[in-house]
Amino acid sequence: MAPSGLKAVVGDKILNGVIKSVKKDGEWKVLIVDHMSMRILSSCCKMSDILAEGVTIVEDISKRREPISSLEAIYLITPEEKSVDALIKDFKDSAFTYKAAHVFFTDTCPNELFAKIGRSRVAKAVKTLKEINVAFLPYESQVFSLDDPSSFESFYSPKKRDERDKAIASVAEQIATLCDTLNECPAVRYYKESEENLKLADEIRRRLDAHKADNLKMGEGPDKARSQLLIVNRGFDPISPVLHELTFQAMAYDLLDIKQDIYSYQTTGIGNSKEREVLLDEDDELWVQLRHMHIADVTKKVTELLRTFCESKKMSTDNANIKDLSQMLKKMPQYQKELSMYSTHLHLAEACMNKFKATLNNVCEVEQDLAMGANAVGEPLKDAMKSIVPVLLSEIDAYDKIRIILLYIFHKKKGIPEENLTKLIQHANIRDDSKIITNIQNLGCNIIVGGQNAGKMLPERKERADSTYQLSRWTPIIKDIMENAIDDKLDRKQWPFISEPATITTTQTAVSARFGHWHKNRSPTEHRSGPRLIIFMIGGVSHSEMRSAYEVTRATDGKWEVLIGSTHILTPTSFLNDLKKLE
Amino acid sequence: MRDRLQHLHRVKTDSEGFSTVELNSLSELEPADPDQDLDGVLNEAQQIRLEIQQIQNDISELQDVNYQTINRTSFPSVTKRDSNTIGADIKRRGEAVLQQLHLMNDLRGELEARRGPSDPAVRIARTQYHCLSNALREVMFSYNDTEMSHREACKRHIKRQMEVVGREISEEELEEMMEGEELCVFSVHMEGKTIHSALMQLQSRQQELLELETRIQSIQELFLDVAVLVEEQGAAVENIEQSVQKAEVIVHDGTTQLENASTSDKNNPLKRMFCGCFPCYHS
Repeated sequence: MAPSGLKAVVGDKILNGVIKSVKKDGEWKVLIVDHMSMRILSSCCKMSDILAEGVTIVEDISKRREPISSLEAIYLITPEEKSVDALIKDFKDSAFTYKAAHVFFTDTCPNELFAKIGRSRVAKAVKTLKEINVAFLPYESQVFSLDDPSSFESFYSPKKRDERDKAIASVAEQIATLCDTLNECPAVRYYKESEENLKLADEIRRRLDAHKADNLKMGEGPDKARSQLLIVNRGFDPISPVLHELTFQAMAYDLLDIKQDIYSYQTTGIGNSKEREVLLDEDDELWVQLRHMHIADVTKKVTELLRTFCESKKMSTDNANIKDLSQMLKKMPQYQKELSMYSTHLHLAEACMNKFKATLNNVCEVEQDLAMGANAVGEPLKDAMKSIVPVLLSEIDAYDKIRIILLYIFHKKKGIPEENLTKLIQHANIRDDSKIITNIQNLGCNIIVGGQNAGKMLPERKERADSTYQLSRWTPIIKDIMENAIDDKLDRKQWPFISEPATITTTQTAVSARFGHWHKNRSPTEHRSGPRLIIFMIGGVSHSEMRSAYEVTRATDGKWEVLIGSTHILTPTSFLNDLKKLE
Repeated sequence: MRDRLQHLHRVKTDSEGFSTVELNSLSELEPADPDQDLDGVLNEAQQIRLEIQQIQNDISELQDVNYQTINRTSFPSVTKRDSNTIGADIKRRGEAVLQQLHLMNDLRGELEARRGPSDPAVRIARTQYHCLSNALREVMFSYNDTEMSHREACKRHIKRQMEVVGREISEEELEEMMEGEELCVFSVHMEGKTIHSALMQLQSRQQELLELETRIQSIQELFLDVAVLVEEQGAAVENIEQSVQKAEVIVHDGTTQLENASTSDKNNPLKRMFCGCFPCYHS
């Protein structure tokens, strides 16, 4: 199944707009990338895809490269000094490193660098020079990332205050290219509680205007006037990135060591290979189906699907479990792809459950009570301290203890007295990591009573009756915001517009029951005619919040598409690590 | 997307007096040193690619033949090739491509030993080998799917024909029939042209199913070999970031070795004792 949404749009832009556009039959090309462009390319294209369009090798521009003078090179790079200098260097000597250069910049090339290219020999070897306006990573069909974890410090660390304006400009440009790529010119709103949100929103508005001058399609279409872009800071909901989630993707990334979206595990296949590495992305149809499901449902679902699959292929299924899969593979190797998929997800689910059963059963219950302020039957939490002390004294990781303490403090709404915090840190024996708790004040969160952020409150939450699992009662606050924005019920005082939007009519246009629904099942692409809600979170987005974007989209029955993104994708561990470095 | 080539032409300074036209024609001349290894790798890859395309063509032809045998009301007239011949060709080509891929991998190993693992020709060979292995697997899957769809179509046809004959057939009986058991049709009245034609159809469908099973059985080993081929390479090679980073690591090792070499060269006693005029200095 081809990826849909953002990945499809960007993949299409790169494959067709860049690689295919310079393809010549019978001639192979070299593709040169820098770090950012490699990440963008890797997130939406596979080696086979680009090979099919005439690229035979991908090289990193910052590394020493052997000349391949018989082939032309495509440079897909960010317009920054390091990359431009490397490009110039490739064509400096009399023997060019490659036969010719086709240069594609991810976004606008500044004048000085452009002039530098013009002055050098490479200008004579350049056959193509374009700016593609894709400076973001399409992480999933409805999730984007700017792939810059270091910006967390730029925005929130007091020692990096002077980097802040530069960070804002860079982020604003990247978001503008997102809107440009999607042909959106949304109304920009921001969460009033934090100054950064206003500054960023303002800068984005400026950049959008600049892009619109070149791309007239931005914002065109009757529904596009309703599109909105919301800027919000991480401190707005500090609970979601810290809570233990029990949905498949969130749980796997929290509990297991998954780097660069690759899951490794031991298994027996057909041959001798023992270690398998699997990429968890949208090319894996089963992953797309399972990733937002509760873990209790996942194993059930995979086993059921495997059983159905085996029956349809007439394979004996007495014990259709992980151990017998290698036998099945030997009997029916033509189903290697499907069988491997089932094996991977059974392993992954089992790994999550093993980690959970080892330490987390009690922890999750306490966390949910703290986050919700009430227990599973709805009785308000009376003595929170009593429930957390046994957990803090137990044999769990330091980071798990910190998460409990943070949730306790957020539960207290006004913060806790400093001596209580010291006592808690002592009890839990986490002196080395205690900085994390005080550092979170840099996000605007209330930690110490009467301290730095006194008076700041977390937003009110909606009452929801739809949770079926006791340990999954919490809903990320951003979901409330998404729903309100779509219903045009989002408070204008808390979420002001940067500039007055075109009049938003909420009256439903007459919808025919018989006609006009043929497009509903088409995968969303840039040509999507309905309005979009784009959320940008400064400082990282968690998996549960990503999940909310899909849930809210589905609830609108395809009328709206909700996209969410941030400077980077968080896991609870990476969030705590980021916080540690702030001061 | 913004095209800025014209802008570049306006901005560029003609420092060496070559016009773009002249330089284009210069670059069209023979490149400095044609890399024969690289050309060899790319040619080999192209050959394999063409063969895989040929298998795909065979599969399309098979789909046509399958379709025609079911949907013709009369007996199939002379087609260019029948399904067994095509199936045999697919098997033969698949096995040949597999062999070529093994050879390509051996070639890559030999190049790697000679030129080092970070050499572009070696890396190109590795990428081509990997992508072609995947392509072969995809095309074999496609063949399997084609045969499986045909099997389902035959089953449906048999069911319909049985209804014409006036006899319902259950799933188990259908399975038995596919395994070659003779079906007890003769208990019904067998008068009339319709019944006669239906019986002929039934017999040829049964024949086809048996032949199909034989084809799939005979190609089982090829499926297994291709599966092993792909499994051994792992999924990570498809990921562009992984391919680029693997190359990085190797290059880094290479530069470390170079640095070590230059340090040890500095300590070369000949260099330290004598001035630069001795011939052995510049070895």
